[in-house]
Amino acid sequence: MEKKLTKKTLTKSFHNWYYGNLTCFSQEHMQTFGYLCSMLPVVNELYDKQEDKAKAMQTYTAFFNTEPQIGSVIVGMTAGLEEARANGDDVDDETINGLRAGLMGPLAGIGDSLVVGTVIPILLGVALGMSDGGSPLGAIFYIIVWNLFAYFGMKFLYFKGYELGGKAVDFLVGPQGEALRESITMLGGIVIGAVAATWVSVSTSFTLTAEGATEPYLNLQKTLDSVYPGFLTAAFVMLCWYLLAKRKMSPIKVMLLLVVIAFVGVLVGFFNPGLQY
Amino acid sequence: MEISWIQAALLGLFACLSSMPGLGGTSIGNYTLGRPLIGGLVCGIILGDIYSGILVGVAMQVVYIALVTPGGTVSADVRAVSYIGIPLAMIALKSYGLDAGSADGQAMATSFGTMVGTLGTVLFYGTATINLVWQHIGWRAVEKGDFNKLYVVNMGLPWISHILCSFIPTLIMCKMGAPMVELIKNYLPMDGIAMMTLFTVGSLLPCVGIAILLKQIATKAVDFIPFFFGFTLAAALGINLVSATVIAGMFALINYRIKMLAINKPAAASETDDDDEEDI
Repeated sequence: MEKKLTKKTLTKSFHNWYYGNLTCFSQEHMQTFGYLCSMLPVVNELYDKQEDKAKAMQTYTAFFNTEPQIGSVIVGMTAGLEEARANGDDVDDETINGLRAGLMGPLAGIGDSLVVGTVIPILLGVALGMSDGGSPLGAIFYIIVWNLFAYFGMKFLYFKGYELGGKAVDFLVGPQGEALRESITMLGGIVIGAVAATWVSVSTSFTLTAEGATEPYLNLQKTLDSVYPGFLTAAFVMLCWYLLAKRKMSPIKVMLLLVVIAFVGVLVGFFNPGLQY
Repeated sequence: MEISWIQAALLGLFACLSSMPGLGGTSIGNYTLGRPLIGGLVCGIILGDIYSGILVGVAMQVVYIALVTPGGTVSADVRAVSYIGIPLAMIALKSYGLDAGSADGQAMATSFGTMVGTLGTVLFYGTATINLVWQHIGWRAVEKGDFNKLYVVNMGLPWISHILCSFIPTLIMCKMGAPMVELIKNYLPMDGIAMMTLFTVGSLLPCVGIAILLKQIATKAVDFIPFFFGFTLAAALGINLVSATVIAGMFALINYRIKMLAINKPAAASETDDDDEEDI
Protein backbone atom coordinates (compact mmCIF):
# COMPACT_ATOMS: atom_id res chain seq x y z
CA MET A 1 0.00 0.00 0.00
CA GLU A 2 1.22 3.47 -0.86
CA LYS A 3 2.41 5.36 2.20
CA LYS A 4 1.13 8.89 2.52
CA LEU A 5 2.00 11.39 5.19
CA THR A 6 -1.03 12.78 6.96
CA LYS A 7 -1.62 16.49 7.17
CA LYS A 8 -1.30 16.22 10.94
CA THR A 9 2.20 14.77 10.75
CA LEU A 10 3.32 17.36 8.25
CA THR A 11 1.96 20.17 10.40
CA LYS A 12 3.76 18.74 13.42
CA SER A 13 6.97 18.49 11.42
CA PHE A 14 6.52 22.09 10.27
CA HIS A 15 5.87 23.32 13.80
CA ASN A 16 8.99 21.55 15.04
CA TRP A 17 10.95 23.47 12.43
CA TYR A 18 9.12 26.76 12.95
CA TYR A 19 9.86 26.72 16.66
CA GLY A 20 12.99 24.63 17.00
CA ASN A 21 15.20 25.53 14.03
CA LEU A 22 17.77 27.29 16.17
CA THR A 23 16.91 26.47 19.78
CA CYS A 24 19.94 24.22 20.25
CA PHE A 25 22.35 26.29 18.18
CA SER A 26 26.09 25.78 18.40
CA GLN A 27 28.83 27.02 16.09
CA GLU A 28 29.58 23.42 15.20
CA HIS A 29 26.21 22.01 14.16
CA MET A 30 24.00 25.10 13.85
CA GLN A 31 20.55 23.91 12.68
CA THR A 32 21.25 20.17 12.48
CA PHE A 33 19.28 19.31 15.63
CA GLY A 34 16.35 21.48 14.60
CA TYR A 35 16.31 19.52 11.35
CA LEU A 36 16.42 16.15 13.10
CA CYS A 37 13.47 17.16 15.29
CA SER A 38 11.37 18.26 12.36
CA MET A 39 12.07 15.04 10.41
CA LEU A 40 11.28 12.81 13.39
CA PRO A 41 7.46 12.86 13.05
CA VAL A 42 7.82 12.16 9.33
CA VAL A 43 10.19 9.22 9.85
CA ASN A 44 8.07 7.82 12.68
CA GLU A 45 5.00 7.72 10.50
CA LEU A 46 6.65 6.31 7.40
CA TYR A 47 8.62 3.46 8.95
CA ASP A 48 7.56 0.80 11.44
CA LYS A 49 10.83 -1.00 12.03
CA GLN A 50 13.39 0.58 14.32
CA GLU A 51 16.30 -0.08 11.96
CA ASP A 52 14.51 1.61 9.06
CA LYS A 53 13.90 4.62 11.27
CA ALA A 54 17.53 4.68 12.34
CA LYS A 55 18.67 4.46 8.73
CA ALA A 56 16.40 7.33 7.69
CA MET A 57 17.34 9.53 10.61
CA GLN A 58 21.02 8.94 9.92
CA THR A 59 20.54 10.86 6.65
CA TYR A 60 19.66 14.04 8.49
CA THR A 61 22.62 14.05 10.85
CA ALA A 62 24.63 15.89 8.18
CA PHE A 63 25.44 19.52 8.94
CA PHE A 64 22.70 21.96 8.07
CA ASN A 65 22.46 25.73 8.20
CA THR A 66 20.45 28.19 6.14
CA GLU A 67 18.16 31.16 6.63
CA PRO A 68 15.50 29.38 8.72
CA GLN A 69 12.47 31.22 7.35
CA ILE A 70 13.05 30.67 3.63
CA GLY A 71 14.81 27.39 4.48
CA SER A 72 11.54 25.75 5.55
CA VAL A 73 11.03 24.93 1.87
CA ILE A 74 14.02 22.54 2.10
CA VAL A 75 12.52 20.76 5.12
CA GLY A 76 9.26 20.36 3.21
CA MET A 77 11.09 18.98 0.19
CA THR A 78 12.95 16.36 2.21
CA ALA A 79 9.66 15.31 3.83
CA GLY A 80 8.36 14.73 0.30
CA LEU A 81 11.50 12.86 -0.71
CA GLU A 82 11.43 10.71 2.42
CA GLU A 83 7.87 9.73 1.58
CA ALA A 84 8.97 8.78 -1.94
CA ARG A 85 11.83 6.74 -0.50
CA ALA A 86 9.50 4.88 1.86
CA ASN A 87 7.39 3.98 -1.16
CA GLY A 88 10.38 2.37 -2.81
CA ASP A 89 11.34 5.20 -5.14
CA ASP A 90 14.97 5.51 -6.12
CA VAL A 91 15.98 8.10 -3.53
CA ASP A 92 19.13 7.54 -1.54
CA ASP A 93 21.07 9.40 1.14
CA GLU A 94 23.24 11.12 -1.44
CA THR A 95 20.22 12.49 -3.31
CA ILE A 96 18.73 13.97 -0.16
CA ASN A 97 21.95 15.33 1.27
CA GLY A 98 23.16 16.58 -2.08
CA LEU A 99 19.93 18.50 -2.38
CA ARG A 100 20.20 19.87 1.15
CA ALA A 101 23.80 20.91 0.71
CA GLY A 102 23.10 22.34 -2.74
CA LEU A 103 20.16 24.44 -1.64
CA MET A 104 21.15 25.72 1.78
CA GLY A 105 23.70 28.16 0.38
CA PRO A 106 21.59 29.78 -2.35
CA LEU A 107 18.52 29.91 -0.10
CA ALA A 108 20.51 31.48 2.73
CA GLY A 109 21.51 34.16 0.23
CA ILE A 110 17.89 34.79 -0.78
CA GLY A 111 16.61 34.58 2.78
CA ASP A 112 19.18 36.90 4.28
CA SER A 113 18.80 39.52 1.59
CA LEU A 114 15.02 39.24 1.24
CA VAL A 115 13.78 38.54 4.78
CA VAL A 116 16.45 39.84 7.14
CA GLY A 117 17.88 42.51 4.85
CA THR A 118 14.64 43.77 3.30
CA VAL A 119 11.37 42.80 5.01
CA ILE A 120 12.45 43.26 8.62
CA PRO A 121 14.17 46.66 8.22
CA ILE A 122 11.19 47.96 6.24
CA LEU A 123 8.66 46.77 8.83
CA LEU A 124 10.81 48.15 11.64
CA GLY A 125 11.25 51.43 9.77
CA VAL A 126 7.48 51.83 9.42
CA ALA A 127 6.97 50.79 13.06
CA LEU A 128 9.57 53.29 14.29
CA GLY A 129 7.68 56.10 12.59
CA MET A 130 4.47 55.02 14.31
CA SER A 131 6.14 54.81 17.73
CA ASP A 132 7.99 58.10 17.42
CA GLY A 133 6.28 59.96 20.23
CA GLY A 134 6.32 57.03 22.68
CA SER A 135 3.17 55.35 21.38
CA PRO A 136 3.14 51.54 21.60
CA LEU A 137 1.27 51.36 18.29
CA GLY A 138 4.38 50.80 16.15
CA ALA A 139 5.61 47.94 18.31
CA ILE A 140 2.20 46.27 18.19
CA PHE A 141 2.04 46.79 14.42
CA TYR A 142 5.41 45.06 13.99
CA ILE A 143 4.49 42.14 16.27
CA ILE A 144 1.30 41.40 14.34
CA VAL A 145 2.44 41.99 10.76
CA TRP A 146 5.82 40.29 11.05
CA ASN A 147 4.52 37.20 12.83
CA LEU A 148 1.61 36.67 10.45
CA PHE A 149 4.03 37.07 7.54
CA ALA A 150 6.62 34.72 9.05
CA TYR A 151 4.23 31.99 10.15
CA PHE A 152 2.08 31.78 7.05
CA GLY A 153 4.98 32.42 4.70
CA MET A 154 7.00 29.60 6.22
CA LYS A 155 3.99 27.28 6.27
CA PHE A 156 3.32 27.99 2.61
CA LEU A 157 6.95 27.31 1.70
CA TYR A 158 7.03 24.08 3.72
CA PHE A 159 3.94 22.64 2.08
CA LYS A 160 4.97 23.86 -1.36
CA GLY A 161 8.30 22.12 -0.85
CA TYR A 162 6.54 18.91 0.23
CA GLU A 163 4.23 18.97 -2.76
CA LEU A 164 7.01 19.49 -5.26
CA GLY A 165 9.63 17.31 -3.57
CA GLY A 166 12.56 16.77 -5.90
CA LYS A 167 10.86 18.76 -8.66
CA ALA A 168 11.39 21.90 -6.61
CA VAL A 169 15.11 21.55 -7.23
CA ASP A 170 14.68 22.16 -10.95
CA PHE A 171 12.58 25.16 -10.11
CA LEU A 172 15.05 26.54 -7.57
CA VAL A 173 18.34 25.87 -9.36
CA GLY A 174 17.21 25.45 -12.98
CA PRO A 175 17.43 28.32 -15.48
CA GLN A 176 14.09 29.78 -14.39
CA GLY A 177 15.08 29.51 -10.76
CA GLU A 178 18.35 31.19 -11.52
CA ALA A 179 16.59 34.08 -13.24
CA LEU A 180 14.28 34.41 -10.24
CA ARG A 181 17.13 34.20 -7.75
CA GLU A 182 19.15 36.74 -9.64
CA SER A 183 16.21 39.14 -9.71
CA ILE A 184 15.50 38.69 -6.00
CA THR A 185 19.16 39.20 -5.22
CA MET A 186 19.09 42.39 -7.25
CA LEU A 187 16.05 43.61 -5.32
CA GLY A 188 17.77 42.67 -2.07
CA GLY A 189 20.97 44.43 -3.12
CA ILE A 190 19.16 47.69 -3.86
CA VAL A 191 17.14 47.63 -0.64
CA ILE A 192 20.19 46.71 1.47
CA GLY A 193 21.93 49.73 -0.04
CA ALA A 194 18.97 51.90 0.96
CA VAL A 195 18.90 50.33 4.45
CA ALA A 196 22.61 51.02 4.90
CA ALA A 197 22.22 54.61 3.78
CA THR A 198 19.15 55.20 5.95
CA TRP A 199 20.09 53.42 9.16
CA VAL A 200 23.84 52.99 9.32
CA SER A 201 25.65 56.20 9.96
CA VAL A 202 29.39 56.50 10.26
CA SER A 203 30.47 60.08 10.61
CA THR A 204 33.64 61.92 11.51
CA SER A 205 33.98 64.90 13.77
CA PHE A 206 37.30 65.93 12.24
CA THR A 207 37.51 69.66 11.68
CA LEU A 208 40.28 72.21 11.27
CA THR A 209 39.68 75.70 12.55
CA ALA A 210 41.92 78.69 11.87
CA GLU A 211 43.16 80.54 14.92
CA GLY A 212 40.60 83.04 16.14
CA ALA A 213 37.91 81.89 13.67
CA THR A 214 34.57 80.55 14.92
CA GLU A 215 33.76 78.50 11.83
CA PRO A 216 36.12 75.66 10.87
CA TYR A 217 37.69 76.01 7.42
CA LEU A 218 37.70 72.25 7.03
CA ASN A 219 34.73 70.15 8.04
CA LEU A 220 35.65 66.70 6.79
CA GLN A 221 32.18 65.18 7.16
CA LYS A 222 30.61 67.97 5.07
CA THR A 223 33.36 67.77 2.46
CA LEU A 224 33.00 64.01 2.10
CA ASP A 225 29.21 64.24 1.93
CA SER A 226 29.46 66.79 -0.84
CA VAL A 227 31.52 64.30 -2.84
CA TYR A 228 29.05 61.47 -2.26
CA PRO A 229 26.38 61.60 0.45
CA GLY A 230 27.05 58.93 3.04
CA PHE A 231 30.62 58.49 1.79
CA LEU A 232 32.08 57.28 5.10
CA THR A 233 29.30 54.75 5.72
CA ALA A 234 29.76 53.32 2.22
CA ALA A 235 33.53 53.30 2.65
CA PHE A 236 33.34 51.33 5.89
CA VAL A 237 30.91 48.83 4.40
CA MET A 238 33.28 48.34 1.48
CA LEU A 239 36.25 47.98 3.82
CA CYS A 240 34.43 45.25 5.78
CA TRP A 241 33.42 43.53 2.56
CA TYR A 242 37.00 43.63 1.29
CA LEU A 243 38.33 42.13 4.53
CA LEU A 244 35.65 39.42 4.61
CA ALA A 245 35.50 38.44 0.95
CA LYS A 246 38.96 39.20 -0.40
CA ARG A 247 41.19 38.82 2.64
CA LYS A 248 39.08 35.89 3.94
CA MET A 249 39.04 37.29 7.46
CA SER A 250 36.48 35.92 9.90
CA PRO A 251 33.70 38.32 11.00
CA ILE A 252 35.03 38.20 14.56
CA LYS A 253 38.44 39.43 13.41
CA VAL A 254 36.82 42.19 11.38
CA MET A 255 34.84 43.28 14.43
CA LEU A 256 37.96 43.33 16.59
CA LEU A 257 39.71 45.37 13.93
CA LEU A 258 36.82 47.85 14.01
CA VAL A 259 37.25 48.15 17.77
CA VAL A 260 40.90 49.07 17.18
CA ILE A 261 39.95 51.55 14.44
CA ALA A 262 37.33 53.10 16.72
CA PHE A 263 39.80 53.41 19.58
CA VAL A 264 42.51 55.02 17.44
CA GLY A 265 39.90 57.20 15.75
CA VAL A 266 38.66 58.49 19.09
CA LEU A 267 42.22 59.16 20.27
CA VAL A 268 43.13 61.26 17.24
CA GLY A 269 39.79 63.05 17.23
CA PHE A 270 38.48 61.48 14.03
CA PHE A 271 35.48 59.99 15.84
CA ASN A 272 33.63 61.86 18.53
CA PRO A 273 30.05 60.82 19.15
CA GLY A 274 29.54 64.02 21.15
CA LEU A 275 27.96 62.39 24.15
CA GLN A 276 27.44 63.96 27.51
CA TYR A 277 25.27 63.47 30.51
CA MET B 1 13.62 53.53 40.30
CA GLU B 2 13.76 50.11 41.94
CA ILE B 3 13.34 46.87 40.06
CA SER B 4 11.79 44.11 42.18
CA TRP B 5 12.94 40.49 42.06
CA ILE B 6 9.78 39.52 40.22
CA GLN B 7 10.29 42.22 37.59
CA ALA B 8 13.95 41.26 37.19
CA ALA B 9 12.99 37.58 36.85
CA LEU B 10 10.42 38.43 34.17
CA LEU B 11 13.04 40.39 32.26
CA GLY B 12 15.36 37.39 32.62
CA LEU B 13 12.69 35.11 31.18
CA PHE B 14 12.26 37.36 28.16
CA ALA B 15 16.04 37.40 27.72
CA CYS B 16 15.94 33.58 27.46
CA LEU B 17 13.18 33.72 24.86
CA SER B 18 14.53 36.51 22.71
CA SER B 19 18.17 35.84 22.04
CA MET B 20 19.66 34.35 18.94
CA PRO B 21 19.58 31.13 19.51
CA GLY B 22 16.55 31.89 21.66
CA LEU B 23 13.94 29.66 23.21
CA GLY B 24 11.08 31.62 21.70
CA GLY B 25 12.07 30.25 18.29
CA THR B 26 13.61 32.34 15.54
CA SER B 27 10.56 34.24 14.30
CA ILE B 28 8.84 34.94 17.62
CA GLY B 29 11.93 35.02 19.81
CA ASN B 30 14.84 36.58 17.98
CA TYR B 31 13.03 38.52 15.27
CA THR B 32 10.11 39.74 17.41
CA LEU B 33 10.88 39.83 21.14
CA GLY B 34 14.57 40.48 20.50
CA ARG B 35 14.04 43.67 18.48
CA PRO B 36 14.70 46.65 20.78
CA LEU B 37 11.45 48.35 19.74
CA ILE B 38 9.45 45.34 20.99
CA GLY B 39 11.82 44.95 23.95
CA GLY B 40 10.98 48.56 24.84
CA LEU B 41 7.27 47.73 24.91
CA VAL B 42 7.84 44.58 27.00
CA CYS B 43 10.19 46.34 29.45
CA GLY B 44 7.77 49.26 29.63
CA ILE B 45 4.91 46.93 30.56
CA ILE B 46 7.00 45.02 33.14
CA LEU B 47 8.41 48.17 34.72
CA GLY B 48 5.16 50.10 34.51
CA ASP B 49 6.33 52.93 32.23
CA ILE B 50 5.36 52.17 28.64
CA TYR B 51 6.10 55.73 27.43
CA SER B 52 9.78 55.66 28.48
CA GLY B 53 10.14 52.02 27.47
CA ILE B 54 9.01 52.68 23.91
CA LEU B 55 11.14 55.80 23.54
CA VAL B 56 14.27 54.03 24.79
CA GLY B 57 13.42 51.08 22.53
CA VAL B 58 13.05 53.42 19.53
CA ALA B 59 16.45 55.01 20.21
CA MET B 60 18.17 51.62 20.44
CA GLN B 61 16.28 50.15 17.47
CA VAL B 62 17.68 52.88 15.25
CA VAL B 63 21.20 51.63 15.99
CA TYR B 64 20.31 47.99 15.40
CA ILE B 65 17.78 48.15 12.56
CA ALA B 66 20.32 46.79 10.10
CA LEU B 67 21.45 44.10 12.54
CA VAL B 68 21.70 40.86 10.65
CA THR B 69 23.25 37.67 11.89
CA PRO B 70 24.11 35.68 8.76
CA GLY B 71 25.76 32.33 9.37
CA GLY B 72 25.49 32.74 13.12
CA THR B 73 27.76 35.77 13.28
CA VAL B 74 26.59 38.01 16.06
CA SER B 75 27.93 41.55 16.28
CA ALA B 76 25.55 42.65 19.02
CA ASP B 77 23.46 40.51 21.31
CA VAL B 78 19.76 41.43 21.20
CA ARG B 79 18.89 39.84 24.54
CA ALA B 80 21.42 42.12 26.22
CA VAL B 81 20.32 45.19 24.26
CA SER B 82 16.61 44.66 24.86
CA TYR B 83 16.42 43.19 28.35
CA ILE B 84 19.52 44.53 30.10
CA GLY B 85 20.23 47.73 28.15
CA ILE B 86 16.66 49.07 28.08
CA PRO B 87 15.91 48.58 31.82
CA LEU B 88 19.29 50.07 32.78
CA ALA B 89 18.76 53.01 30.44
CA MET B 90 15.30 53.57 31.94
CA ILE B 91 16.82 53.62 35.44
CA ALA B 92 19.60 55.94 34.29
CA LEU B 93 17.09 58.35 32.75
CA LYS B 94 15.13 58.42 36.01
CA SER B 95 18.27 58.96 38.10
CA TYR B 96 19.39 61.88 35.92
CA GLY B 97 15.89 63.22 35.72
CA LEU B 98 15.97 63.21 31.91
CA ASP B 99 12.92 62.85 29.70
CA ALA B 100 13.16 59.80 27.45
CA GLY B 101 11.99 61.88 24.50
CA SER B 102 14.65 64.58 24.81
CA ALA B 103 17.80 64.56 22.69
CA ASP B 104 20.02 63.96 25.73
CA GLY B 105 17.78 61.13 26.87
CA GLN B 106 17.93 59.49 23.44
CA ALA B 107 21.72 59.82 23.28
CA MET B 108 22.06 58.23 26.69
CA ALA B 109 19.68 55.40 25.84
CA THR B 110 21.64 54.72 22.66
CA SER B 111 24.99 54.64 24.42
CA PHE B 112 23.71 52.27 27.11
CA GLY B 113 22.20 49.97 24.50
CA THR B 114 25.35 49.96 22.39
CA MET B 115 27.60 49.31 25.34
CA VAL B 116 25.53 46.46 26.74
CA GLY B 117 24.91 45.02 23.27
CA THR B 118 28.58 44.92 22.34
CA LEU B 119 29.64 43.41 25.65
CA GLY B 120 26.65 41.04 25.48
CA THR B 121 28.09 39.12 22.55
CA VAL B 122 29.92 37.16 25.27
CA LEU B 123 26.50 35.80 26.30
CA PHE B 124 25.85 34.61 22.75
CA TYR B 125 29.10 32.69 22.46
CA GLY B 126 28.58 31.33 25.98
CA THR B 127 25.15 29.93 25.11
CA ALA B 128 26.35 28.41 21.85
CA THR B 129 29.29 26.77 23.61
CA ILE B 130 27.22 25.22 26.40
CA ASN B 131 24.82 23.89 23.75
CA LEU B 132 27.69 21.73 22.47
CA VAL B 133 27.26 19.59 25.61
CA TRP B 134 23.57 18.98 24.87
CA GLN B 135 24.39 18.19 21.25
CA HIS B 136 26.90 15.63 22.45
CA ILE B 137 24.09 13.96 24.43
CA GLY B 138 22.01 14.21 21.25
CA TRP B 139 24.53 12.34 19.11
CA ARG B 140 24.66 9.54 21.66
CA ALA B 141 20.87 9.30 21.55
CA VAL B 142 20.94 9.11 17.75
CA GLU B 143 23.52 6.31 17.88
CA LYS B 144 21.35 4.34 20.29
CA GLY B 145 18.23 5.01 18.24
CA ASP B 146 16.56 6.79 21.14
CA PHE B 147 15.11 9.45 18.86
CA ASN B 148 12.50 10.92 21.18
CA LYS B 149 15.33 12.22 23.28
CA LEU B 150 16.07 14.65 20.44
CA TYR B 151 13.14 16.79 21.58
CA VAL B 152 14.69 17.09 25.04
CA VAL B 153 18.06 17.91 23.49
CA ASN B 154 16.75 20.49 21.04
CA MET B 155 14.04 22.18 23.09
CA GLY B 156 14.56 21.25 26.73
CA LEU B 157 18.22 21.19 27.69
CA PRO B 158 19.10 24.55 26.08
CA TRP B 159 17.06 26.08 28.92
CA ILE B 160 20.04 25.29 31.14
CA SER B 161 22.35 27.25 28.80
CA HIS B 162 19.91 30.12 28.95
CA ILE B 163 19.51 30.06 32.71
CA LEU B 164 23.28 30.42 32.93
CA CYS B 165 23.84 32.87 30.08
CA SER B 166 20.57 34.79 29.82
CA PHE B 167 18.47 34.53 32.97
CA ILE B 168 21.09 34.98 35.69
CA PRO B 169 23.06 37.82 34.00
CA THR B 170 19.82 39.70 33.27
CA LEU B 171 18.46 39.09 36.76
CA ILE B 172 21.61 40.35 38.43
CA MET B 173 22.23 43.31 36.13
CA CYS B 174 18.61 44.50 36.41
CA LYS B 175 18.30 43.87 40.13
CA MET B 176 21.56 45.69 40.68
CA GLY B 177 20.21 48.41 38.36
CA ALA B 178 20.80 51.56 40.40
CA PRO B 179 24.30 50.67 41.66
CA MET B 180 25.14 49.37 38.18
CA VAL B 181 24.19 52.67 36.60
CA GLU B 182 26.32 54.50 39.21
CA LEU B 183 29.22 52.19 38.45
CA ILE B 184 28.97 52.78 34.70
CA LYS B 185 28.67 56.52 35.30
CA ASN B 186 31.80 56.60 37.45
CA TYR B 187 34.04 54.24 35.55
CA LEU B 188 32.84 54.95 32.04
CA PRO B 189 32.05 58.65 31.83
CA MET B 190 30.32 59.54 28.56
CA ASP B 191 33.08 61.88 27.42
CA GLY B 192 35.78 59.35 28.38
CA ILE B 193 37.78 57.40 25.83
CA ALA B 194 36.21 54.04 26.73
CA MET B 195 32.63 55.20 26.26
CA MET B 196 33.43 57.12 23.10
CA THR B 197 35.16 54.05 21.68
CA LEU B 198 32.24 51.78 22.59
CA PHE B 199 29.81 54.18 21.02
CA THR B 200 31.88 54.47 17.85
CA VAL B 201 32.19 50.68 17.70
CA GLY B 202 28.42 50.50 17.99
CA SER B 203 28.00 52.69 14.92
CA LEU B 204 30.67 50.77 12.96
CA LEU B 205 29.47 47.25 13.74
CA PRO B 206 26.33 47.32 11.57
CA CYS B 207 28.74 47.73 8.62
CA VAL B 208 29.94 44.17 9.28
CA GLY B 209 26.39 42.81 9.07
CA ILE B 210 25.77 44.67 5.81
CA ALA B 211 29.13 43.50 4.46
CA ILE B 212 28.32 39.86 5.27
CA LEU B 213 25.09 40.20 3.31
CA LEU B 214 27.00 41.79 0.46
CA LYS B 215 29.52 38.97 0.48
CA GLN B 216 26.69 36.56 -0.27
CA ILE B 217 25.32 38.53 -3.18
CA ALA B 218 28.37 40.26 -4.61
CA THR B 219 31.52 38.66 -5.95
CA LYS B 220 32.62 41.08 -8.66
CA ALA B 221 32.59 44.85 -9.06
CA VAL B 222 29.45 44.86 -11.23
CA ASP B 223 27.46 43.23 -8.40
CA PHE B 224 27.93 46.35 -6.30
CA ILE B 225 25.96 48.55 -8.67
CA PRO B 226 22.55 47.55 -7.22
CA PHE B 227 23.86 48.20 -3.71
CA PHE B 228 25.15 51.65 -4.61
CA PHE B 229 22.02 52.35 -6.60
CA GLY B 230 19.96 51.76 -3.44
CA PHE B 231 22.46 53.66 -1.32
CA THR B 232 22.23 56.64 -3.65
CA LEU B 233 18.44 56.52 -3.72
CA ALA B 234 18.33 56.85 0.06
CA ALA B 235 21.40 58.97 0.84
CA ALA B 236 21.46 61.42 -2.06
CA LEU B 237 17.83 61.51 -3.15
CA GLY B 238 16.31 61.03 0.29
CA ILE B 239 13.87 58.33 -0.86
CA ASN B 240 12.44 56.30 2.04
CA LEU B 241 12.71 52.53 2.38
CA VAL B 242 9.24 51.56 1.20
CA SER B 243 9.59 53.69 -1.94
CA ALA B 244 13.09 52.37 -2.54
CA THR B 245 11.69 48.84 -2.37
CA VAL B 246 9.07 49.64 -4.99
CA ILE B 247 11.77 51.00 -7.31
CA ALA B 248 13.93 47.95 -6.59
CA GLY B 249 10.96 45.68 -7.31
CA MET B 250 10.48 47.30 -10.72
CA PHE B 251 14.11 46.73 -11.66
CA ALA B 252 13.97 43.14 -10.40
CA LEU B 253 10.84 42.54 -12.50
CA ILE B 254 12.48 43.93 -15.62
CA ASN B 255 15.55 41.78 -14.99
CA TYR B 256 13.39 38.67 -14.53
CA ARG B 257 11.45 39.33 -17.75
CA ILE B 258 14.64 39.80 -19.74
CA LYS B 259 16.19 36.61 -18.34
CA MET B 260 13.04 34.60 -19.00
CA LEU B 261 12.94 35.90 -22.55
CA ALA B 262 16.46 34.65 -23.11
CA ILE B 263 15.57 31.26 -21.62
CA ASN B 264 12.30 30.76 -23.49
CA LYS B 265 13.57 31.83 -26.87
CA PRO B 266 15.60 28.73 -27.78
CA ALA B 267 12.90 26.52 -26.25
CA ALA B 268 10.20 28.12 -28.40
CA ALA B 269 12.36 27.77 -31.49
CA SER B 270 12.85 24.04 -31.01
CA GLU B 271 9.13 23.61 -30.14
CA THR B 272 9.64 21.36 -27.15
CA ASP B 273 6.87 20.93 -24.59
CA ASP B 274 8.34 23.21 -22.02
CA ASP B 275 4.96 24.65 -21.05
CA ASP B 276 4.87 22.62 -17.83
CA GLU B 277 7.37 24.97 -16.30
CA GLU B 278 4.80 27.73 -16.11
CA ASP B 279 2.65 25.73 -13.67
CA ILE B 280 5.18 25.83 -10.89
